Amino acid sequence: MTPFPRRTPRRAFLADLGMGFTGLALGAMLHRDGVARASSGLDAWAPPDGRPHFEPKAKRVIWLFMIGGTSHLESFDPKPELNRHAGKTIEESPHAGVLDSPYTQNVRIAVPNDANGHIRHELYPLQVGYRKRGESGIEVSDWWPCVGDRVDDLAVIRSLYTTNDNHGAQLQFHTGRHSLEGPFPTIGSWVHYGLGALNDELPQFVVLGTPIADCCGGMNGHGASYLGPEHDGVSLAVDPKDPLPFAAPGPDVSHEEQADSFELIDRLNRISAVKYPDDAQLRARIKSYELAFRMQMSVPEVVDLEAETAETQALYGLDRDETREFGRLCLAARRLAERGVRFVQIFHGSNGGAGAWDAHSNLRSGHQRLCTQVDRPMAGLLTDLKRRGLLDDTLVVWATEFGRTPGSQNGDGRDHHPFGFSCWMAGGGIKGGVVHGATDELGFHAVEDRHYVTDIHATVLHQLGLDSRRLEVPGYKRLDIDHGKPIAGIIA
Amino acid sequence: MSPRLLLLPALLAVLPTTGRTGEVDYLRAIKPVLAERCFACHGALKQEAELRVDTVALMIEGSNAGPVIAPGDVAGSYLVDVLTGAAGFRMPPEGEPLTDAQIGLIRDWIAAGAPAPEGEEPQADPREHWAFRPPTRPEVPGVGDPEWGSNPIDAFLSREHERLGLSPLPRADRATLLRRVALDLTGLAPTREELLAFVSDPDPDAYARAVDRLLQSPHFGERWGRHWMDIWRYSDWDGYGSEVRESQPHIWRWRDWIVESLNADLGYDRMVRLMLAADEIAPDDPDALRATGFLVRNWYKFNRNIWLDQTVEHTGKAFLGLTINCARCHDHKYDPIPQVDYYRFRALFEPHEIATDRLPGQPDTAKDGLVRVYDAHADMPTFLYVRGDEKQPVEDRPLDPAVPGMFGAALEIAPVVLPITASYPGLKEFIRREALASAEQAVAEARDALIAAREKGESSAEASTPDEADAPTPIRLAEARLKAALAELESVEARLAADAARFAEPPDEERSEVLALRAGLAERRAALEKARSERLLAEKSLADARAALKEGDPATKKAVEAAEQSLAEASKAVEEASKAIDGPLPSDYSPFAPIRPRTSTGRRRALAEWITARDNPLAARVAVNHVWMRHFGTPLVESVFDFGINGKPPSHPELLDWLAVELMDSGWSLKHLHRLIVSSRAYQMRSSAPLDHPNVATDPENRWYWRMNPRRMESELVRDNVLHVAGSLDPMLGGPDLDPESALATARRSLYFRHAKEKRATFLKLFDSANVTSCYRRDVSVAPQQALALANSTLSRSQARVLTARLIEECGGDEDASFVTVAFEQVLGRAPDADERDACLAYLREQADRLADPAALSAFDRGPEPPVMPSDDPSRRARENLVHVLINHSDFVTIR
Repeated sequence: MTPFPRRTPRRAFLADLGMGFTGLALGAMLHRDGVARASSGLDAWAPPDGRPHFEPKAKRVIWLFMIGGTSHLESFDPKPELNRHAGKTIEESPHAGVLDSPYTQNVRIAVPNDANGHIRHELYPLQVGYRKRGESGIEVSDWWPCVGDRVDDLAVIRSLYTTNDNHGAQLQFHTGRHSLEGPFPTIGSWVHYGLGALNDELPQFVVLGTPIADCCGGMNGHGASYLGPEHDGVSLAVDPKDPLPFAAPGPDVSHEEQADSFELIDRLNRISAVKYPDDAQLRARIKSYELAFRMQMSVPEVVDLEAETAETQALYGLDRDETREFGRLCLAARRLAERGVRFVQIFHGSNGGAGAWDAHSNLRSGHQRLCTQVDRPMAGLLTDLKRRGLLDDTLVVWATEFGRTPGSQNGDGRDHHPFGFSCWMAGGGIKGGVVHGATDELGFHAVEDRHYVTDIHATVLHQLGLDSRRLEVPGYKRLDIDHGKPIAGIIA
Repeated sequence: MSPRLLLLPALLAVLPTTGRTGEVDYLRAIKPVLAERCFACHGALKQEAELRVDTVALMIEGSNAGPVIAPGDVAGSYLVDVLTGAAGFRMPPEGEPLTDAQIGLIRDWIAAGAPAPEGEEPQADPREHWAFRPPTRPEVPGVGDPEWGSNPIDAFLSREHERLGLSPLPRADRATLLRRVALDLTGLAPTREELLAFVSDPDPDAYARAVDRLLQSPHFGERWGRHWMDIWRYSDWDGYGSEVRESQPHIWRWRDWIVESLNADLGYDRMVRLMLAADEIAPDDPDALRATGFLVRNWYKFNRNIWLDQTVEHTGKAFLGLTINCARCHDHKYDPIPQVDYYRFRALFEPHEIATDRLPGQPDTAKDGLVRVYDAHADMPTFLYVRGDEKQPVEDRPLDPAVPGMFGAALEIAPVVLPITASYPGLKEFIRREALASAEQAVAEARDALIAAREKGESSAEASTPDEADAPTPIRLAEARLKAALAELESVEARLAADAARFAEPPDEERSEVLALRAGLAERRAALEKARSERLLAEKSLADARAALKEGDPATKKAVEAAEQSLAEASKAVEEASKAIDGPLPSDYSPFAPIRPRTSTGRRRALAEWITARDNPLAARVAVNHVWMRHFGTPLVESVFDFGINGKPPSHPELLDWLAVELMDSGWSLKHLHRLIVSSRAYQMRSSAPLDHPNVATDPENRWYWRMNPRRMESELVRDNVLHVAGSLDPMLGGPDLDPESALATARRSLYFRHAKEKRATFLKLFDSANVTSCYRRDVSVAPQQALALANSTLSRSQARVLTARLIEECGGDEDASFVTVAFEQVLGRAPDADERDACLAYLREQADRLADPAALSAFDRGPEPPVMPSDDPSRRARENLVHVLINHSDFVTIR
């Protein structure tokens, strides 16, 4: 197959045209797109130039999101008081004070008269045991044996809160705004917007797994809103045959004729570029066709897991039925990360609605099954990144939209719990083997080092060397709470 | 540098490049911080504690407690204490405190004696802001260049050219010009025939005739309809599965109303009035009622406050260029809009609700209907929410409806008495007729069924088995059905008669009462006959289920149980219907449609009339700015939805005002405005200049319109023109929203595909289709996914092949060179240059050679098959590929 373009070295050609491109960094060339997009008005404002604002600790992010609300109480935040007072109401327990907390007033009802999203009063005992893991001795539940093995790489944050009592919190975790306020740019799109490309053959913000459903944010959960669709997450299927929309023309076209066509498109556009030397969009489009042509080849290659050894495949659980599906996503994420994709957002638990983790009943069997699906692949990802030296500058985030109530629902489940829940981060300059923040003795409210979800965003951006205030787009005022604050306690 | 700093261009303009350090520090480092964080409460807008900090002199003058700065004396400067919190409280009260660095600079500046710039002017009175005063028609300036003097637009622009020493570019060539104006006005590129005819037309009025033709095209309404749909936030219904959560089904009728109104050149003022209040202005006109889709679109299932917040925000932004929404939680930070004015504005909409009216021929409004608004809750109070929190309404102070007080306008709100058919559509002729016709049809069908059952019953009497003997016979079933149908017919007739009497003019109360009784009773009898008929059917089902019962087959056992259950329910229904007949007299009967209030509050009508009144300072300016931007690529007022104090000043204030007055004086004719703009010399300029053109140094951004701006087609145009140049576009106008998944396979124009927050066609989204939440201005991105869509979609591949066949048929296919020319003309609207022709000819030769040896080719092993396959003939296939290349040419998606 003929590589494209094949005749004229592009840079020489551009230099001949006097377009002043030579010497410009790739990131700056790409941000021409942005210039074209915002070229209006007297403002001296310019979009980011693809360079971090300060020395970064991480270059890329892998973001694992559990849809439906994973129980913090059965994962990373052990609460023996629940066993001690199981069956009593909160009012009957010594911890009745949690109900009077002003924090309970912060939550905004998203779906009125919903059967779910309420405080549950009858305390429900822990459905799984905990044990101390690793050198650090951090307690992790027995449903997370493999991730528990890696706990010395994790910073576990036990003091998150959000303000949505329903699954719009999925959107909120990615935008920082309550779902009633509509879509806003997501964390992945901010990263893409702020830093652009490390690799010009792949989309820079990739979504793996089935995204959150229409009920709970839909494609806005990986959208760029006002930053523009070029910063939207691009959904890739881990299927070399059909990885993304319009990735290949179809059997009616041969590689050879298409390569000729792309070359002619390029030639003709360059002739126009001589005629219209002031057309910035045209220059960006020439670039975009080059990228597109390469993406056709590189995207199927990157999601082709056959290239991995059997040992690596097994590390991610590809050899087991229960872990294969999620393991494929994690392994593809590593392949994307090592090829320079900035932000990989992996979803787990899509069921077309609120999400599989939404354990209103049968929490024990449900969570056990779901934990098994993700535990080994996630631990495999951490192990693999580490042994390849990628964990140092790859930030891994594990999150979910909210935790679950200390009280029981339907006798064997837990309801939505926005007041206090957990997530963890690893790699990318984050301390390993630490616990940050705490909930109260029932795991009800985050009480120590409380963090709203945008503090996670701020931490991610900080590790990448970005100052979110310097990314602000004129005309789109952001609030202090949108920016959040980096979580200093977990930064190495 | 903070972008916020840029909000003070006037300030920066007076910055001395050299000067005393103290002065520069104040203007650069201190005043912008105070402006950003303090002016809202201590400036021209408000003077909390009687303090203003917008000049140094005013700071020294101080608050009701005395001076807040003491030049040279940091410790004695109260300002520093409140900024650090040493005063016992901290300013600003909201948001992050000032940084130590910022406070440090303020200290240093005070320590240096708080030097002030000379002649420092305080902030102007916000009520004097240019956009808050009605526009008057400025005098058209005289200009030197006669070519730039005949159209007032040119005169205003030319004056600035002369002032800045800019030389405007010459006219674009005719081919470029025709493609530009055709795409601008109809969204469809000229065909090759149109192009050739225009280029060779010697008539000096050829351009004017082309403009007239384009303005008269029905596609004009589609093109500009989509623009206004952006501004008016058109959204088809959105939701989860089949559950509607936002906007409404059938709202496409509003889209059709927009398209039709633009084509008919309905005045912009009339359009705004109908969108806000057609139910009060034209309550009996179903065509006009479609306009209220503007309000229906904000419907939100879960929260009425969100619904009304959206209504307030976007009424303000779309028609007034006013960010009233900024005053929801607190007083507006820039414009003189106190928080209470937000809620007074909301009160204008408080009573309204949505409904789906029946349309002739479709009794089921779930399938089709007219979705519109009406006032349902005239007495619903409006309260201010403390800090915007719906849990904290100030309930002891209900608010009256009003527009923001800064306009000094008292709305004349008068209740509107609606025609009876508007409040009770059951009286509409078609509903009465259809009710009767459907009851009569049911009788006829039941009668036919009975005749058929009797005929069949006679021929198969002996065939019945003992089991079936217990079951009701088909004849009995058919008799029951006919009885029920007849009873229903009587009931409908009685209700129709009762309605006629009840709503007669003059009313006949006695007769009306008797007829209502009769209708109520007839309805009960119909219910009983229906219940009996259904019970009989349930008996039959049970008998059938028992006959089918098989030992050891649990499914058949379950079927019997279910049939028993159904029969029990049917028997209970009969009992209840009988009981009702024996019960007390009915007090009423069922109406043929929902009965709504007889009067509407008139609030929205009053608002609409105020917005479109001649002396409204904003409406015409905002509309003109939107139209201008969509012709020139950039607006006259950069902040298209914010004409307030925090917005950007107009680049050409007099031109903007002249156009605004001209629009109003023309009877708000948008077509007049379009004609004026596209006829201007400025509109016809070339769009490109050499990089070293002298104008570039003066005005690189083309803020002063010395050239035309090249633009990328909007996403709809990209798709539409792929189809259009191939001759495949289906020109049908209007109709229900189409499945977005079918956008690659259906040849209708793009604005007809469903478009909602979570339902958008992928191809269109990739090219920046409108953000349905808010899209006062389209984004334009350039991304590799767009290249993949144009290169690889079944749409572009198929259409390239369709067009190739057409071009060869129409123009003969003998020579590659002539094919290249016609292909360029058809796809790009111009002939190729020599360079381009050579490149294309070489490509055709190489491709044909390559394709002649299929064994050497490796086909893609993935991707969908298109509906149109490539030609088997190598040279023809090469031409198909060339046309495909031209569709991917940057010039195809560019309006030059």
